[in-house]
Amino acid sequence: MAVGFVGIAVTAGTERLQAQQAGEVAVVSRPSSTTYRAVLDRYCVTCHNERLRTADLALDVVSLDEVSADAALWEKVVRKLRTRTMPPLLRPRPADTVYDEMVSWLEFELDTAAAAAPHPGRAPVLHRLNRAEYANSIRDLLALDFDASTLLPPDDASYGFDNIGDVLRLSPTLLESYLDAARVVSAQAVGDPTAAVEQYIHRVPPDLTQDYHLDGLPFGTRGGTRLDRYFPVDGEYDVDVHLQRNFIGGRVMGLTEPHELEVSVDGTVVAQFTVGEQLSKDADSTENEAEQEESARRRRFYDSQTEGVYRTRVSLQAGTRSITVTFLERPSSQVEATRLPYLRSFAILGEATKGLPHVDTVTITGPYQARVGDTPSRDRVFLCRPTASVDEHACAMRILETLARRAYRRPVTEGDVETLLEFYESARHAGMNFDAGVQRALQRLLMSPDFLFRVERDPVDGSPGSNFEIGDLDLASRLSFFLWSSLPDEELLSLAEQNQLQDPVVLEQQVRRMLSDERALALVNNFAGQWLYLRNVPHAAPDTRIFPDFDSNLRTAMRRETELLFETIIQDNRSVVELLDADYTFVNERLARHYGMPNVYGSHFRRVDLDDRSVRGGLLGQASIQMVTSYPNRTSPVLRGKWLLENILGMPPPDPPADVPALEETSEDGHARSMREAMVEHRANPVCASCHRVMDPLGFALENFDAVGSWRETEAANQKINATGQLPSGLSFDGPQGLRDAVLRRPELFVGVIVERLLTYALGRGVEYSDYPTVRAIVRDAALTNYRFSELVTSLVKSLPFQMRRIPS
Amino acid sequence: MIITKMAYPRRTFLRGVGATLALPLLDSMVPALSATSQTAANPVRRVGFFYVPNGADMENWTPKDDGTDFTFSPTLSPLESFRNQTLVLSGLAQQQANAFNDGAGDHSRGTAAWLSGVHAKRTEGADVQAGVTADQIAAAELGKHTQLASLELALESIDLVGNCDSGYSCAYMNTLSWRTPTTPLPVETDPRKVFRRMFGSGGTPEERMARMREDRSILDSVMEDVDRLQLSIGPADNLRVVEYLDAIRDVERRIQRTEQRNLEAPSHLSMPLGVPDTFEEHIALMFDLQHLAYQADITRVISFLIGRELSNRTYPAIDIYDSHHSVSHHQNKAEKKEKIAKINTYHVQHLAKFLEKLQSTPDGDGSLLDHTMLLYGSGLSDGNRHNHSPLPILLLGGAAGRVRGGRHIQYVPETPMTNLLLTMLDKVGVPTEQLGDSSGGLRIERSYLTDV
Repeated sequence: MAVGFVGIAVTAGTERLQAQQAGEVAVVSRPSSTTYRAVLDRYCVTCHNERLRTADLALDVVSLDEVSADAALWEKVVRKLRTRTMPPLLRPRPADTVYDEMVSWLEFELDTAAAAAPHPGRAPVLHRLNRAEYANSIRDLLALDFDASTLLPPDDASYGFDNIGDVLRLSPTLLESYLDAARVVSAQAVGDPTAAVEQYIHRVPPDLTQDYHLDGLPFGTRGGTRLDRYFPVDGEYDVDVHLQRNFIGGRVMGLTEPHELEVSVDGTVVAQFTVGEQLSKDADSTENEAEQEESARRRRFYDSQTEGVYRTRVSLQAGTRSITVTFLERPSSQVEATRLPYLRSFAILGEATKGLPHVDTVTITGPYQARVGDTPSRDRVFLCRPTASVDEHACAMRILETLARRAYRRPVTEGDVETLLEFYESARHAGMNFDAGVQRALQRLLMSPDFLFRVERDPVDGSPGSNFEIGDLDLASRLSFFLWSSLPDEELLSLAEQNQLQDPVVLEQQVRRMLSDERALALVNNFAGQWLYLRNVPHAAPDTRIFPDFDSNLRTAMRRETELLFETIIQDNRSVVELLDADYTFVNERLARHYGMPNVYGSHFRRVDLDDRSVRGGLLGQASIQMVTSYPNRTSPVLRGKWLLENILGMPPPDPPADVPALEETSEDGHARSMREAMVEHRANPVCASCHRVMDPLGFALENFDAVGSWRETEAANQKINATGQLPSGLSFDGPQGLRDAVLRRPELFVGVIVERLLTYALGRGVEYSDYPTVRAIVRDAALTNYRFSELVTSLVKSLPFQMRRIPS
Repeated sequence: MIITKMAYPRRTFLRGVGATLALPLLDSMVPALSATSQTAANPVRRVGFFYVPNGADMENWTPKDDGTDFTFSPTLSPLESFRNQTLVLSGLAQQQANAFNDGAGDHSRGTAAWLSGVHAKRTEGADVQAGVTADQIAAAELGKHTQLASLELALESIDLVGNCDSGYSCAYMNTLSWRTPTTPLPVETDPRKVFRRMFGSGGTPEERMARMREDRSILDSVMEDVDRLQLSIGPADNLRVVEYLDAIRDVERRIQRTEQRNLEAPSHLSMPLGVPDTFEEHIALMFDLQHLAYQADITRVISFLIGRELSNRTYPAIDIYDSHHSVSHHQNKAEKKEKIAKINTYHVQHLAKFLEKLQSTPDGDGSLLDHTMLLYGSGLSDGNRHNHSPLPILLLGGAAGRVRGGRHIQYVPETPMTNLLLTMLDKVGVPTEQLGDSSGGLRIERSYLTDV
């Protein structure tokens, strides 16, 4: 029913713009609040009234004349109207035009009110660096690659991200870990030759198929592993290689034939071992050759318990060294057979008795006979190397000033340097040399609250409840931790010190520079990794009885595909909508086989173009997403539906009721049910239906993708999959391409989700109702450039909540 | 809480018995709320709290008969050889884990209330609020004499995205232990890191002492920085800084205690590699570390999340390929309930192995197990219905003779589990008036005064 709306063809917003351009007071027949009051009364108030208070919302007692008086409420209403999720599908709903106009009107009111009384929110004052930020800061400060996960615990997450200031607490356990880390990092950076012998164990995933060439390893080899590790000093190191053992008495596979195991450092072979031996057969046995071979094989296998450990001692130069341990590839003729082998190696089954030897761990112990070496880290720390002892103090001061300025992200005070020098001096007094003195001071630096925390102080003379612009130095930190998950570099820091970041032109330049820098790839691991659940991929454990091809190679490849798509969007400054509608993707041979894509060979990733019929373009077609939204042994349309609602459509479903039973997989008479049949209960029971009517159809659209992302036409019950569904707005579709097209009809909804997530991630706090005008503005501006990633970021960086803070009242 | 107990002087029983008998100290012999140092009884020296998620199949858990000489249920049968040090307590409840209009979130509330008896605040943000947990109350006292006040351990990593109850912060399910109503304590899953915390990073005793001195002087210096920081931060944000200062003081105290003991790692032990690949190896290693911690008196209070609520772990070793949480919603189907019971039994089997280790370790005039008191169970009862009563709860160990095992006690339904926690605290020598929704100490003893 559109009575009263016919004839109003333009939205309130554009009318106003035209009026402004005309330079005269606008006298336009804009719908007034009474018009929309009528809409509410007709379509909404039946449920959302003071008496029933459905979803704790009463729309009969609120006034549309002063929308700003209850912005939080109206933002909720706008969200539902914008996504067309209210009124529910089976109830009378207004026409699309009415939706559009009412949303525009409400948003206009809200935006106007927000512009008159801006509220930037309040990011946390004391915001601890999380683990990833700590590691990256060490890398950029000291040119040291440091695996923080060995010393620091994972961080608590909130609102979907682990960089939310308010939940990043400092427990005594964490403080102890920081002490440990400061010691290790300072010793490694300075290259302390007296540091104790350490043992580093590099473990290869037990489900990694090592039957063929692996990415990153030399051509002509198969399997094995490569580790790139920073060695702080020159010295001798023991490298121990352990081969994988099975569960039957801990035996090593493949010893019935000789294999060559090679250890290389930076491409040069340093050791070779022969693993296994050629079987000898009894000369005087009466058995035929095949039987002889078989019994020899068995004997050899059961003898193998003590083998499979190899050691060599190597001389390593300080710095990052690449160590590979791998087998030489032995070409073997393909066995012609009706049954094809699994893609997953037979050898990695716990009970395997046949297969090729696999590398399990590489242990590096050292340094022995350590000597100070040349490392990028030492170059970074020791700006000067005093030759005479009179020069030492001045040099130490210079070093510490420089490091402190970068580490604390601001100009240093005398007090800062004095504190650090105290530690340098007490070390010297105790008889330690120059390097060790600097090391002690560096240890203290890394424990400073100015390093571990970002502190955004309120101005001393600020009046309570007012907004203020954050200073350039704070802005620089926000920028670098947002885009690089690390501290500002020299260029950014200098500009901030000179107060030049206030200039919008300079700011834009810096954003562009930072996005094209390699360090921006932190966004892939930290932003996309959490938004898209990619961090769950390493933890996924599909049931290998149902998915016998599944191995670590596939798991890694799946994740890489999604990462590469995201990297492309960032580095090539593509439209973020391409995350959904890309006509290309990235595969290696393993992943291509999984997808059934022909003619892709080799372990490295390359870009492939997709034709129109492909289901694999964009996030919705990627195995990583499909796997993390499934259970180990079956798909879950509910998990997938929920994921889509929350992360793609921006319509998070409300919580489930308690007391939810599990799925019935067979019907009363015992025949297997299709997933759709099994979930009929969701729609039959009204308590369940309100949400499941919305969630399930989205998940059904992806049912052709099984729990590890392979395409299938039929499901467990041998029934052809019915992948039809509909969006909460009522728009229906068929299959994943249909779903994709339906979502892309209104790309601004998807972009809105990304902006909300980016804002959360960038500010380190949850997004509140007062931030939605900002979100809308960013989406509107980005539409002008077709939603390019750098435009989104630039708008965000210039926006109110990023540039300003509110003083608490 | 009114405690009425009469103190029976020990002599009352010894007189007339003649030969010396090592009498286990009955609960009733301990004067009410007295400082345990004044009594002849030693307080329980070691206490542990072990949690399994997603409830249990109560039919297979609860023994059919009660009292002494009860028949072990199928799930609890691995504990048969520890009969005298096992108390099966049925009918306990954590009422505060119920919804009370907060909607879904039983997994979060169940974990948060298990050792506190407090209704967790529904929030996804930083303003989480629950209650101080019993283990931390014990640790505040027992931890004065040990290197580590307590250890919080777990087997499941917390860095999975999106795996928490909606409406509730992940913090509620990530840990059992809360130091204050707003301070959840982080858990450690990596055996290597746990080992490092217990024994430092190796080296000679002199090297270790030098490291500790270094750390202390750094912390003293950092404290000055933080004091300065506090001056420039407004009152609204002071909480964070106070937390920082508390953490510094806490660590300084720990370092001091460690310096006094300067413990060396037993030479036959090597540092664990990291997190093992299988559940079996992981739980065994973590139990080994706990055994070591008790044995070397590195700590006397341990909480251990054997599984986190909502756990989706599969158990291929016992042929269970469904995810735990999924199958705990059994909808009363026999096949699914069987699987849950199997998982429950499997967990108890691992527990039994730990008990065996404790039992075979001499400690004073008995074994480690004799002087330990362990709580094992879940914050959910039926995983399908998400209810919090009757909870599956066991009290294990000799508790230094202060608890008589070998019984299945059936309490009046809805008896607060916090009463049990109060009694536990009493037995470790940290008598407490109130914890969460407690209504008094739990009567663990029946009138067996005449059965000596």
